[in-house]
Amino acid sequence: MSRSRPALVPLLCAVTALALAGCRGRGGGDASEDDDDDAPPADLDELQCDPTVTVPAVALRRLSRRQLQRTVADLVAGSMGAQAQAVQDEIGWALEAWPEDLPTNAPGRKRGGFRRLDQAVHQAHIDAANALGVELGRAMTATDDRVTALMGSCATDDDASNDEACVVDFIESFGRRALRRPLTDAEVAFYIEVFVGETITSLDPSAVGDVIAVMVASPQLQYFVEHGADPVDGVADTYWLSDYELASRLSYHFWQTMPDEELLAAAERGELTTDAGWQAQVQRVFADPRTRQSLRDFFREMWWLDGVAPLDARVGTPVFDAFRGDFEPGPDTTAHAVDEVLDMALFYALDTDGTFDDILLSNRSFAKTDDIAQLYGVAPWDGVSEPPAFDDPQRVGLATRIALLASGSANTRPIMKGVFIREGLLCDDIPPPPDNAAANPPQLSAEQTTREVVEALTETEGTACATCHAPLINPMGFVTENYDALGRARTEQVLFDEEGREVGRKPISTQAVPLVDLVSEEVASGSADLAHMLADSGRPHVCLARQWVRFSLGRIEDDDTDACMIEDVAQRLLDGESLGEALRQIALRPEFRQRAFAEDGT
Amino acid sequence: MTLSRRHLLRGAGGFALALPILPSLRPRSAKAAASVHPPRFVAYTTDHGGVWSEFMFPDDASLTEQMTYAGHTIRRGDLVRGEDGAQAWVSPVLRGGTAQLTEALAGKLNVLRGLDLPFYMGHHTGGQLGNYAANDGGGEDGQTLYGSPMPTIDQVLAWSSAFYSDLSTIRERSLVAGPYHSWGWSSPSTASGSITALPWEYSSLALFNRIFVPDEDETTPRPPVADRVLQAYQSLRQSDRRLSSADRRRLDEHMERIDELQRKLAVSADCGDVPPATEDSAPIANGSSFAYDPAAQVRYWQLYNEVVAAAFVCGTSRVAAFHARESFSDYQGDWHQDVAHQAHFPDGARQNILAEAHRRFFDEVFLDLCQRLDIPEGDDDSTILDNTLAMWSQESGNVTHESISQVVVTAGSAAGCLRTGQYVDYHNRQGSPITFTDGLDQVTRPGLLYNQLLGTVLQAMGLPNEAFQTDPRGGYGALFVTPMRAGHYPSAVLDAMGQWLPWLQA
Repeated sequence: MSRSRPALVPLLCAVTALALAGCRGRGGGDASEDDDDDAPPADLDELQCDPTVTVPAVALRRLSRRQLQRTVADLVAGSMGAQAQAVQDEIGWALEAWPEDLPTNAPGRKRGGFRRLDQAVHQAHIDAANALGVELGRAMTATDDRVTALMGSCATDDDASNDEACVVDFIESFGRRALRRPLTDAEVAFYIEVFVGETITSLDPSAVGDVIAVMVASPQLQYFVEHGADPVDGVADTYWLSDYELASRLSYHFWQTMPDEELLAAAERGELTTDAGWQAQVQRVFADPRTRQSLRDFFREMWWLDGVAPLDARVGTPVFDAFRGDFEPGPDTTAHAVDEVLDMALFYALDTDGTFDDILLSNRSFAKTDDIAQLYGVAPWDGVSEPPAFDDPQRVGLATRIALLASGSANTRPIMKGVFIREGLLCDDIPPPPDNAAANPPQLSAEQTTREVVEALTETEGTACATCHAPLINPMGFVTENYDALGRARTEQVLFDEEGREVGRKPISTQAVPLVDLVSEEVASGSADLAHMLADSGRPHVCLARQWVRFSLGRIEDDDTDACMIEDVAQRLLDGESLGEALRQIALRPEFRQRAFAEDGT
Repeated sequence: MTLSRRHLLRGAGGFALALPILPSLRPRSAKAAASVHPPRFVAYTTDHGGVWSEFMFPDDASLTEQMTYAGHTIRRGDLVRGEDGAQAWVSPVLRGGTAQLTEALAGKLNVLRGLDLPFYMGHHTGGQLGNYAANDGGGEDGQTLYGSPMPTIDQVLAWSSAFYSDLSTIRERSLVAGPYHSWGWSSPSTASGSITALPWEYSSLALFNRIFVPDEDETTPRPPVADRVLQAYQSLRQSDRRLSSADRRRLDEHMERIDELQRKLAVSADCGDVPPATEDSAPIANGSSFAYDPAAQVRYWQLYNEVVAAAFVCGTSRVAAFHARESFSDYQGDWHQDVAHQAHFPDGARQNILAEAHRRFFDEVFLDLCQRLDIPEGDDDSTILDNTLAMWSQESGNVTHESISQVVVTAGSAAGCLRTGQYVDYHNRQGSPITFTDGLDQVTRPGLLYNQLLGTVLQAMGLPNEAFQTDPRGGYGALFVTPMRAGHYPSAVLDAMGQWLPWLQA
């Protein structure tokens, strides 16, 4: 299906600015006081693609923790044969000690950040690289069997005359994989010097270990060292990447690890700098199962799934126990709920030719575990056949997934549900709450539904709270109030007192004006309506495109320099291209294969 | 329900008995200030805060002295320790076993009241050590503060040549545990670049192994590979291959770090009788009930206390910054929303839970640290604790999310620089009440600025004002007074920031 852009977009831009600007500031500030600095992120028509603009690059980007760990694991696996597992076991502590990457958010955002954007280099990284290198070198050369596996029989035979060739061959072959390109003559000489000075006279395993240690800590392994090749015509300070640089960029983007032998071989043949060769490798790499983990990381971080509350935290407390009834969340229930969302994303992105609309409108369960399937009221999915459909006609789309509904308590959180849709699905910027707004959290009431409590607390006319909550935040959360705090369907809310005694029931109201496009006052009667309104608006598509570009470039996107990439991905999603294809296409963009080297640091 | 001080005292273990004035709590002499031992710094910050003043602070009756300072009256008095046989206390929350909170140890404490961050700053991490930019962005103040990130004082110390004038035994310039608590420059040796959160350690055992120096290995090691790694970076940096200026800056910063690694690898230190650690904190935190198991939480942090004590004995580090985010309560629900965010409700029900949790932290974690450090050092009569400044601060003041009236509890005299055994109240009792939170019984009034405390700490650690101050008036931390509170802080308060906090200098 091809969808034209929303007709209201030109009007939307002006009104959007007013709408979001109106809900900001302490004490119910005047909307007219706002300025353009607080304008919401641009939608598609606001982007102006200029292919001659220089696209800034992240300076000497380092490998993420996950990339580093996988690289070392693959290096070991590819070098040690049957000895690999033993080495992996011994270096496990050093890999685990690698500093965590911190989620790095867009400015002003508290959630939805991507860890691969964390480019800080601390002393802990340098210390960890040294410790890992030394430990890896020791472990890979700890026994004759390991040395033989690593270097061949020349390293352990009684013939000293082949030692020099053995060492040089090792440096060249291991170095090619560790450094992700053939070593230069100077580099080979350098590593020979690391081995034992300028002349190789004996094959000392600890010297081999030193070579490994230095390679592991070297800039060529720790960073994406890119020098570029030919200049890009018409784009200042920008160069096409070389074959080997492209091999790394591609493999780390989709696999989070080093290039495989086929990719290195293609680079060696110079195929990656040809359109046909590049396209073939992009196709192959994207289709490889290793891409799954990268996309899982992307969707997990984009949809705030690391922040899903522990669903078993309140088991044993009176109100929660009364609320949950026979269903007892276990320690793995939260992870199962998250997996269900990620399995859905990969089902449409990789396992089928699904579209982003399929995710936004899916009425199928991807729950493979009994706990989540029970909450949905369906049979567990076997992961192979067609996922079971929900009987519930309102259970449509992403916002009705357990992981995004469950709160870990007995009460739903309409505010947080609304904030997620605004920021996580639509990329809207919500101004910060007034000072100390959090001092009065919504309380579960024995007389009111959660919606009523939230309305009373945040929608009193004339208050600072109401300017944001009433039009923009709460309605998005209210429309899914037909699901309880464990994500179970409901038509009424059971009210409890503090001892967990049922004191009443009140009907649920899901009708609201969600202002998806910030203009239309179309009423949503429930979650199914909201899902369709979101899909029809096209705004989640642009938001997804933004975040995919952010994830791909490893930095916060810029509307001036990155418009071409965002627009391309978004348009493909809007045109109904398969989700996988739209995501894969980022690697075919010229910007993906280029690098800027401006002296101002970009 | 309205809680009284007496209520909490009873609830925690018995009736208040006689409250003798502590002996020998006079200011330390100039002789002590000239200690030959280097000062150390340990900062603990706990989440939330929000303990009401009547539970947190000692009795007003102990404030026996007063003077005018920065335009208002401030007060002090010797800490008064009470005990009932099993428990001892200086306030309802600041209490512990009589064997832990001894008279001698109480004489090494300070309890400070009336230190303000004059802006709204919710859910911050690092604010207690001077980086106010690490907040939740709530309110206009939070957004404004985003623009003024600063290194936390533990990192100022870690990279100060005045503090670390001799690095020959220092394996780790600072020990960091707990998330987003310690912030530093990307190029700390040049105090430039960007401000980022330092990685924090999850494993006390791993941290221990970084500061512990086992007996010398007799075998002759090969030369450190770090030298060769540095060569690899230099080769790339100096090559004529295309790099951006930002690429080169990154390489420079990396090579600075390798220099530091080389320095650390060359350290020679002697841990004497310190036994190797065997227990690790990480498995404790991975326990399924850790979130509501205060005994496990306490043990988790006691293991870090063990690391600090070992590092100070070994002389392999002199700075630690810990962020304890645990509840220290068996409350089995949403601590943040249900307790911390409701602790200001007038019925006091949640406040009682919160106060008890803080009491437990003080008793079993902070006092545990003090006890581990209170061991003789050298030939004089001082202990490592005497030569340390251990500081416990909390995310908020006496009301959750309120940054007025920060709670600061210290132990040790920083090698004789600090006068101890005091309860000092800097707040202006005649000042107008200020609060962001409606409907509170708690009345908070302005005092002196928290920046002045941070400046005092740095000075106590031997740093001259000019080594750290970012505002001409002194102190440490971005100076920002939110407009709605500007009237509460006259220029005399701001002008005092460069001075030692009154009554603290020995």
